[in-house]
Amino acid sequence: MRDHMALKTKNIEIWTGNEAVAQAAILSRPQVVAAYPITPSTPIIQTMSDAIESGKLAGEYISVESEHAAMSGCVGASAAGSRAFTATASQGLLYMMEMIYFAGFGRLPMTITLVNRAVYGGWTIWVDHQDMYSMRDAGWIQLAAKNNQEAHDLIPQSYKISEDHQVYLPSAVNIDGFVLSHVAGQVEPLTQRFVDDFLPPFEPLFELTPQDPISFGALTLPDDYLALRQDHQDSMEAAKTKINKVSQEFAELSGRNWGGMTEIYGDEHADIGIIALGTIAEEVEETVDYLGSRGMSIGSTRIRSFRPFPTEEIQDAAKRYDHLIVIDRGFSFGSDSPLVTEVRNAIYKTNLHLPITSLRTGIGGAEVSFRDIAEDVLRIMEDK
Amino acid sequence: MVKTKELVELESNVRPIEKGNLACPGCQLNLVFKHSLAAVNNNAIVVIPACCTSVIQGAGQGFGMNVPIFNVAFAAAPPVASGIARKLKIEGKDTQVIVWAGDGGTSDIGFASLSGAAERDEDIIYIMYNNAGYQNTGNQKSGVTPRGAKTTTTKMGNTSRPKSVARIMLAQGVSYVATANAGYPQDLYDKISKAATEFKGHFRYIEIYSPCPPGWNIDTKDTVEVAKLANETGMWILWEAINGKLELSRPGRRFVDKEKRAPVEEFFKLQGRFSGVSKELLQLATEDIDYEWEWVKKFQ
Repeated sequence: MRDHMALKTKNIEIWTGNEAVAQAAILSRPQVVAAYPITPSTPIIQTMSDAIESGKLAGEYISVESEHAAMSGCVGASAAGSRAFTATASQGLLYMMEMIYFAGFGRLPMTITLVNRAVYGGWTIWVDHQDMYSMRDAGWIQLAAKNNQEAHDLIPQSYKISEDHQVYLPSAVNIDGFVLSHVAGQVEPLTQRFVDDFLPPFEPLFELTPQDPISFGALTLPDDYLALRQDHQDSMEAAKTKINKVSQEFAELSGRNWGGMTEIYGDEHADIGIIALGTIAEEVEETVDYLGSRGMSIGSTRIRSFRPFPTEEIQDAAKRYDHLIVIDRGFSFGSDSPLVTEVRNAIYKTNLHLPITSLRTGIGGAEVSFRDIAEDVLRIMEDK
Repeated sequence: MVKTKELVELESNVRPIEKGNLACPGCQLNLVFKHSLAAVNNNAIVVIPACCTSVIQGAGQGFGMNVPIFNVAFAAAPPVASGIARKLKIEGKDTQVIVWAGDGGTSDIGFASLSGAAERDEDIIYIMYNNAGYQNTGNQKSGVTPRGAKTTTTKMGNTSRPKSVARIMLAQGVSYVATANAGYPQDLYDKISKAATEFKGHFRYIEIYSPCPPGWNIDTKDTVEVAKLANETGMWILWEAINGKLELSRPGRRFVDKEKRAPVEEFFKLQGRFSGVSKELLQLATEDIDYEWEWVKKFQ
């Protein structure tokens, strides 16, 4: 990827993560944006509002009175057959959670950007992944970017995955608050032509129209309800294939390869393998270089899709590494953190036995550098 | 006003609903739904938050309405309808987007989203059917339950004065606001018709008074009688306001004169929800009638 960037230095913008997301969202031509401000995602919706007001984006901006209404507006727009977009964070996500479940369980494709921010317990505005973890079981596809360029590239990809008729589920693209949302970096922008070719217009499976009077979401009896949930589960399985396929297609067309469900970095068959997601996972790549250059056998497998979970890829990682360190930027109080639990669950289904160490760090916006991670790795290996 | 014969003929042609449904005996919600949808010739997408009509429309794969319905969460109907209305705007379609909601979903949990959609002047007809409580869950007090009425959460009778959502909508500057009554279908039909044709493109609010036989503890044969008595006692005022200017509607206009009203006891005695309630509380409920009339007169 780096070689490619070096060769094509034309059209480089210096964009914050929020700007990178908003510009990609504009190129994806959503017809309805319903949004409510919250730090640190506010600049995204300001840019979307400007684009619609100025006519740059042909669509409708609904300036709603709450996050619950923001998600409701997207739910209505999607059910009526339009491509919808919004952005939120932390408390905003929690406030819209009822409608997050409506969109997920209601099978309504759309894309939202979740700018990850810790939740109340003392006000905080800085990054951790408690908000991302909170919507784990809402039936959404949850993707996570490691830098501004990937955040930009993920937006059209997420629409393409969501709107696929075998998948047909909403997507959340996660970017770390402030670390990505407010820090400017190099982004090679996608072009309108590229996105139009890559992402065809939304073709809804059903539409609310007087010509075909159906009741959507009416009282559902247990057998039908179970069939719907089983279909939902099957669609999540189909999403795994689709995510890999769309990522590959995007890589071929753009020259930027971010991996599929996961991205492998460093020594593929190493003594130590680190599993993380978001910006910490990019920091981990630095740690791999740093400790690798000092003679340590170390690699990383970055999780790009938290839901569906890359079970097969993690099982593969368990074969490639001798010791796993799993980094979580959040809690599941009363138990282990969500990511390490998922990793252990995936590996338990194999006959492999290897040490798995949980590393909880970067909570409530705490900065984590590659050196901090290196120190943690050295300490963990010493304690072993 | 539409003639009764015309309305009956029209409804048998348009057929907004089919025979057979899950409403309680004596309930008029199917009738008011039929009158309302006939007024827009079924050219509508209906958004229904949790309420009695979530159940009435049918269960499993049985569905008895001839209009598309999107069932959504309690507080979500106005913004969901906004999303749909915006899509129809992009496509240039003339289909009406109708929110069909109960009084709890409107006056309590959905109040902020109602106010938001009204402020944005979304192209929606919002219809609240007022059966004075959470009747789908078995008669709990809502923000519009009248003073004195017994509910399962106000067993001695409700002690607070109900809020008039229609009047609040009027105060918010909604261009078309009206109240209607299940006992007067022609008046209801005319109001929905006018909202649909003359105020398309704007937010419109219509509130329909609809007695609930099990919740109000009334004989199923008396539902229409109770609805009419609400008008005749001055308990439910029929009016229509266009751009902030209020006019009393014909079926209830004469009851502005207190002398012409039927004694409120006639209204109370047909309903178990007012029986055994203290005289003091019923006196306050009676005073609320004048309170509401005084407010309504201020907008004339």
